[in-house]
Amino acid sequence: MERPDLKRVLGSLLGPAEPEVGCDECFDQLDRYVELELAGADADAAIPGLRAHLAGCPACREEHESLRALVGGELS
Amino acid sequence: MTPATLQLVSSVPSTSDQLVEPAGAGLDEESREWLRSLQAEGAAREDAVARLHALLLRAASFEVARRKPSLPHLRGDDLDEIANQAADDALVSVLRRLGDFRGLSRFTTWAYKFALLEAAVKLRTRDWQGREVPLEPESWNEVSSAGLEPDEELEQRELLAAVQRAVDEVLTPHQRTVLVALALNGVPIDVLAERLGATRGALYKTLHDARRKLRDHLEEEH
Repeated sequence: MERPDLKRVLGSLLGPAEPEVGCDECFDQLDRYVELELAGADADAAIPGLRAHLAGCPACREEHESLRALVGGELS
Repeated sequence: MTPATLQLVSSVPSTSDQLVEPAGAGLDEESREWLRSLQAEGAAREDAVARLHALLLRAASFEVARRKPSLPHLRGDDLDEIANQAADDALVSVLRRLGDFRGLSRFTTWAYKFALLEAAVKLRTRDWQGREVPLEPESWNEVSSAGLEPDEELEQRELLAAVQRAVDEVLTPHQRTVLVALALNGVPIDVLAERLGATRGALYKTLHDARRKLRDHLEEEH
């Protein structure tokens, strides 16, 4: 098994320092956030704390990447 | 759609008292049509439910295809089954939560996230099926510092040692278990939630509180 990377482990242990939403709030807002991102709008200003949560939660980050890829692929 | 899902779908009320017209003034016509048809009765609703299932299956299959390269031990049949189960479960969730749709995105974007979530959770769970979930901090010494300059490596190693001491000194046993499993041992949050009988949201709250305690403690030390 690949050894975990030191910097990544420290980032994962200490998490994002800025305020963040939880997983449930992230799921509730994810569709709006992705559409704002794809429209070139300031999604982080519209939905504070979601970007920080994506940095701290690998599962929500994966789901965000998938939704963005799926919807972005449809729009392109 | 499996017979069990069909039965579940038919048990979700389609009457308008459950649903509201979303407040989003800019709701597009396609989204309005989805809401109208899913709130209809009889054949119109059945047709809309079938179209919704096809949409969700497409999203679930998209997720499965994205993750396939990292899951070489899962066969094509397994992956198809996961996509279908995810679409079925997402369909039930979408119909049950239709009243939560506020029109702040397109209806299809809102619906997709349910299928992606179901597929992702099922894939993570299947990937860890039969595997022991490591809850003990055995990995502290196995962290790689490849690629770091000597000065940076020393600094990061010292920080890791300080974090390790703080984990022992300031966290509760539950916070320690959750932090070590998720952040050090790389256990997916859904897998840990299932093993501990908790929800993903509750586990993330525990992780969040543990991280804040660690950061506060390290700041006090310096």
